[in-house]
Amino acid sequence: MRVARLVLVAAALAAPLFAGPSDDRFREANELARAGDYPKAIALYGELAASGEESASLYWNWAQAATARGAQGEALWALLRARELDPGDRAVVRDVERLRESLNLDPAEIAPEPLAAAGRWARRFRADLLAVALLALSLCAHALVRVRPWARWAAGAAWATLGLGLLVAAVPVAASFARPTAVVVRRAAPLLDAASPTAETTGSLREGEVVPVLESSGAWLRVEDNAGARGWAHVDDARRLDAPPAPLRD
Amino acid sequence: MKGGRLDLRKLSLAVALALVPALAQASFTLRSEVDARKIGVEDQLQLTITVEGSGAPDEIELPALTNLEVVGGPYQSTQVSIVNGRMSQSRTYTYALQPRAAGKAEVGVVRAGDQAAPAIAIEVVAGSVRPRQPQRQDPFGMDPFGDPFEEMLGRRRGRAAAQPKLLVEAIPSRTRLRVGEPLVLTYALLTQTSVADLQFKDPPQFAGFWVEDLERPQGSPSGEAATVEGESYRRFPILRKLLFATRAGTLTLPATTFRVGLARQGFFDAGGVVERATRPVTVTVEPLPEAAGFSGAVGRFRTSASLDRDVVPLGEAATLRFRVEGTGNLKWIERGPEVTITGARVFPPQAKSDLRPTGEGISGSRTWEFVVVPETSGAVEVPPLSFSYFDTSAGRIVTAETPPLALRVEGGTVAAGLPVPVPKAGALRSGGALPLRADLDRHPVSSLALPGRTVAALAGLALLVHAGLWGAGRWRVGARRRSSASPRSVRAALRDLERAGREAASKEQAASLVEKALHEAFGDVPDEDESERARAVRALLDDARFVRYAPQLGEYTDKVKDLAARAAAVVRRWA
Repeated sequence: MRVARLVLVAAALAAPLFAGPSDDRFREANELARAGDYPKAIALYGELAASGEESASLYWNWAQAATARGAQGEALWALLRARELDPGDRAVVRDVERLRESLNLDPAEIAPEPLAAAGRWARRFRADLLAVALLALSLCAHALVRVRPWARWAAGAAWATLGLGLLVAAVPVAASFARPTAVVVRRAAPLLDAASPTAETTGSLREGEVVPVLESSGAWLRVEDNAGARGWAHVDDARRLDAPPAPLRD
Repeated sequence: MKGGRLDLRKLSLAVALALVPALAQASFTLRSEVDARKIGVEDQLQLTITVEGSGAPDEIELPALTNLEVVGGPYQSTQVSIVNGRMSQSRTYTYALQPRAAGKAEVGVVRAGDQAAPAIAIEVVAGSVRPRQPQRQDPFGMDPFGDPFEEMLGRRRGRAAAQPKLLVEAIPSRTRLRVGEPLVLTYALLTQTSVADLQFKDPPQFAGFWVEDLERPQGSPSGEAATVEGESYRRFPILRKLLFATRAGTLTLPATTFRVGLARQGFFDAGGVVERATRPVTVTVEPLPEAAGFSGAVGRFRTSASLDRDVVPLGEAATLRFRVEGTGNLKWIERGPEVTITGARVFPPQAKSDLRPTGEGISGSRTWEFVVVPETSGAVEVPPLSFSYFDTSAGRIVTAETPPLALRVEGGTVAAGLPVPVPKAGALRSGGALPLRADLDRHPVSSLALPGRTVAALAGLALLVHAGLWGAGRWRVGARRRSSASPRSVRAALRDLERAGREAASKEQAASLVEKALHEAFGDVPDEDESERARAVRALLDDARFVRYAPQLGEYTDKVKDLAARAAAVVRRWA
């Protein structure tokens, strides 16, 4: 997670230097998608994402190509990933709903972690910066009270901003306790009893279902489906929402 | 009803009520029944006269008999039934009748009070047409191990001797129909005895049909009278199925076998189970005509289309609803109409149904909802949407069409994700080209959000600094308090000041007491302390020293009293 964030920050800072090639590859992928070569377009989107060139637009286009290819689970994953990056993108939210209904999924089946929604809200409205600003303001007001004891209003302001700042800060802090999740991108993806291709199948996962990730081991994720069944799923079948995808394999 | 098991408790009660006639609506009801309408001259006929309710005469006269004579009875029995908390009473008079000769016979009108039961015509043929009763072999005419109530109640002992009168039948509402047209198949039980249990022996087969369950018919709890091959029965509908033929041809519904549990008839009767089967039902199914755009809907339908708004900002979505309503096989129809709107992207529809099976077919509505996202400003027209179905009353395929709808798209800020129209086919999505975004937009502000742990650390740091500031303030207050006198010193200082203002001491002694009291209360007051308190204390000390060291030029009593009073006030206020 930290590595992903560092990659994002580094990508954001170095973006002007590398904007040209990435944009060209993005346009190339778009052309491939328009020409109907969805597998190659998706592969190119995947390369861009794996190299840190993540954005809501990238995943939006990825979702459109996946939908056209008939991979609705993958499309839903791409849209949810886009929503993670830009929670305020209304078109993405609308398409998530459309795909959810198309996959006959209950709203709760794509939102198993309520705290994750709080995290999106915090990112959308910059609750982190707001909280820091309020806490700083409360410190200033408190210091003023100590220097100028007769400034009674400063004491009230210090208390109010401190309380508000802690309240706002609670949202991103609480959201950080949300379990990571993954989206099932394959129809009837097998749920195995061990992290091995030769393990016994204990059940199957619904395409498009969002499942909490309990642990990971190499290319395997231990997940829990909405019925409470726990088992291992391959990363090709269940893609994480909290990190960019690994480079796609043929 | 599912799984082949019927609502046996209700059915048993209903069948029992059939033998014990239904509740009277008036004060009492009268009924006359015979167990056969056609008998042989060697057979016996059982006549049952039933009176239900209250207010009936104690005795019921035997009706006039034509070509019949009484050979047994009357056997009288009284039964009390409680149904839904309501109690009813019935009396039954049973006679055994023997025909005198072949030909016509009749049980005349039975009268009791103002009630009358109609006459019953009987046909008497030569010989015997009914199964014979087993002949008793004991010389005394009575089986010593027999049921002692058998003779008295006129019941037969054991069911092996005579099969119970039971039938099941499957009745189709029609035998000729088209593919997709409904047919109601009713299963009914015809019985002369009480039934305790009824199950399918094997699940019924409906090859070539699509089946829906219908609600069980709400018939009379006592059933309805029916005569089959000269025998009187009470008929009880068991269940109804709604069938839709899925292919043309001659389709046969095979016989369905029921396992019927018989109710116990007496103390020594263990009941029993018998099997009864329906007759196979043959249905002729005609094919539907073929036509372009015909989806296979059969019935009578109405169509309508609507938009959830007339005006939509560019980049926003509108919802187009296409609704088909009526009765037929609407449940079959999954595919909605093809919708193509120039200047707008149409997403694949979501279908919603509100359907329920009825005797005429499946009634209700199915609605397809399309999300329409305009791609251009101005007027966008939703073209007429058509729906073809086979009209059963007209006997032909009919196409219903909705009027065109207008949608006005207002320009403005383009919302995120506004599709880029690309005039190129190939996408699988409805509405044409893929709505791809042209720019990567790789730096959303939210992606640089502070991690939760960092926010928590910053909040903790802020709390620590707050605590530090608060602690520093408390320390200053504490230091100030430490520099002040204790309460005991204050009380001693106030006592000294009281003495200085009251006692007849010299001005030196009085001023000395004031000085001592101020030192007790405030300690040393540094010269650099410019607070109001320090200034007040210093002024008092100056006054006390002036009084103490001033030459005795006059009376200082008032001056001393005033000094003591002012000092006491300062001590009370500041110490």
